Amino acid sequence: MIQFFRGFVPGIFVMLFCLVFSPLYLTAAEGQEYIAIRKEGAGNIALVLDKLDARGRKETRFAQSLDATMHDGLDFTKLFSLISPPLNVKDISDRKNVVINFPALTSVGAEVYAGGVVTMKSDMIILDMKVYEAAGSKLLLNKTYTGTEANLRSVGHAFCADLVELLTGKKSVFGSKIVFVSNKTGFKEIYQCDFDGYGVEQLTNSKSISMNPTLSPDGKNLAYIDFTSGRPTLYIKNLNGGRTAAVGKSAVSIDPGWRNNNELAATLSFDGNQEIYLVNSDGTLSRRVTNSKSIDISPTFSPDGSKMAFVSSRNGLPQIFIQDIASGQVKRLTFSGRYNTQPSWSPAGDKIVYTTWEKGGEINIFTINADGSGLLQLTQRCGENKSPSWSPNGDMIVFTSNRQGREKLYVMNSKGGDERVLLQVDGEQTQPSWSLFR
Amino acid sequence: MKRNSIIVFALMVTAGCSSKSAVTPDDASSGQSSSSSSSSFPRSPSGYGFDEWQTGPLGDVFFDYDSAILSTEAQEQLKQNGGWIESNVSKSALIEGHCDDRGTSEYNLALGDRRAASAKEYLVRFGISASRLETVSFGEERPFVSGQSEEAWAKNRRAHFVVK
Repeated sequence: MIQFFRGFVPGIFVMLFCLVFSPLYLTAAEGQEYIAIRKEGAGNIALVLDKLDARGRKETRFAQSLDATMHDGLDFTKLFSLISPPLNVKDISDRKNVVINFPALTSVGAEVYAGGVVTMKSDMIILDMKVYEAAGSKLLLNKTYTGTEANLRSVGHAFCADLVELLTGKKSVFGSKIVFVSNKTGFKEIYQCDFDGYGVEQLTNSKSISMNPTLSPDGKNLAYIDFTSGRPTLYIKNLNGGRTAAVGKSAVSIDPGWRNNNELAATLSFDGNQEIYLVNSDGTLSRRVTNSKSIDISPTFSPDGSKMAFVSSRNGLPQIFIQDIASGQVKRLTFSGRYNTQPSWSPAGDKIVYTTWEKGGEINIFTINADGSGLLQLTQRCGENKSPSWSPNGDMIVFTSNRQGREKLYVMNSKGGDERVLLQVDGEQTQPSWSLFR
Repeated sequence: MKRNSIIVFALMVTAGCSSKSAVTPDDASSGQSSSSSSSSFPRSPSGYGFDEWQTGPLGDVFFDYDSAILSTEAQEQLKQNGGWIESNVSKSALIEGHCDDRGTSEYNLALGDRRAASAKEYLVRFGISASRLETVSFGEERPFVSGQSEEAWAKNRRAHFVVK
């Protein structure tokens, strides 16, 4: 079996990032198309990420910082085997014409080489990166990234994002955010951090109970549940300094999930029963979706919004069902396990991740194909593992675990490997939700 | 583990004792100030629905695991609560649904909602106006007892009555 990786070689391409408030902008590169051939299941990409060249004290300091950012960022993805550069990897006797020693690279098993130069122009830091295929010495990427010292991390991650897209053909985690609940102040409040746990920021300060945060696909709105009014109420907060809309029906609101940028779904119980409703992002009700005398909660949508997975106790114990939004037709998805909750539909649309509360008291994470086939257990024998949420490219899953005592955020790959702590901060962290945007 | 649960139980008992002795004089004084309420209940109610977290005139009702079904004892307690609410026409009640912390929090928020709703529904059938009964769910967010034991879980699975 052969897998094709698509990439592009841009021509001379200088991009100025205005990074102060705008998100990273990745341009579809121009130039000739490159296709690398790798055996499927070949594992990680063997990469030599060379130390950046720099002259001058400031430049050297920024280069070292970028080295660390790019190394840690690429390592976080677990897509690469990072190989130390061989000593004779390049000949820099002529600075204008650096010669890369490709035989030395292939002899250490490198498939790809990435290196670059850091220079400065007034206060702007300029990172020129080149990526080569080691065997064949073909130039795969030649791109300039520019930013200020304040957003050096974003500059490094912009290159990491391009490299991952170039070599895997898929979008990366770089630039994405994770929202979650933490009780470190003594109250459950909502926080966000970068994909790698960096830059934790508190988003609510209600000194009540805030729960189940989830970002709209465009990242402009945060939906969450909050008890400030005395009862669990659905709020939709505009993160660009706009207003916060409360869904103004009494009774109880539970666990929102976005269908698209303008519409989300949540359980509301104002008619006496827990039913799922579609709600507009301004907080007005659109329409009711479920109709059963039992509990219906935790809506999560297929990428095109046509189908909704959710939890229902209509057959007695909580199980996951899929409802076609247009026809209303419902199909039961899970048949294994007696208590299946917390579904999250993958960004590619093929899988649903959820948790099973097992007899022995463990809670474990499983994935299942949207057609009910391919059940896969991702966690085992490590306490309660809850609230799984996909990374924007579906490569990784963020979740909570109490395996070391208190509940903390962890990440793993979509098959359950590479499990590790995301964030070491005080208190307990729960209910993480990964943004779709990057 | 066993020792822990004994300690927890001992703490519960002592906490219960100390809070009861602290509450009794309050009850007596409030009984004097609001002598108009012709309650047929003892001033310090005890028994099924009353413990250190419920010392008011209305008793709490308890539920089985993953259930919002009212047991015989629960129905008895609700009848008593209904009698008090009926005869105290100026009062209304907030019914809080609570769950133990096993399972997942979203489902427990829904389950707590159903526990509160089934207590309310019983009282409405008993003849209390629905407008005097408000319900809310705290799910597993505000447990009465912390700890991982059957006793703790059973104490936390309740519809808690607050007089308004």
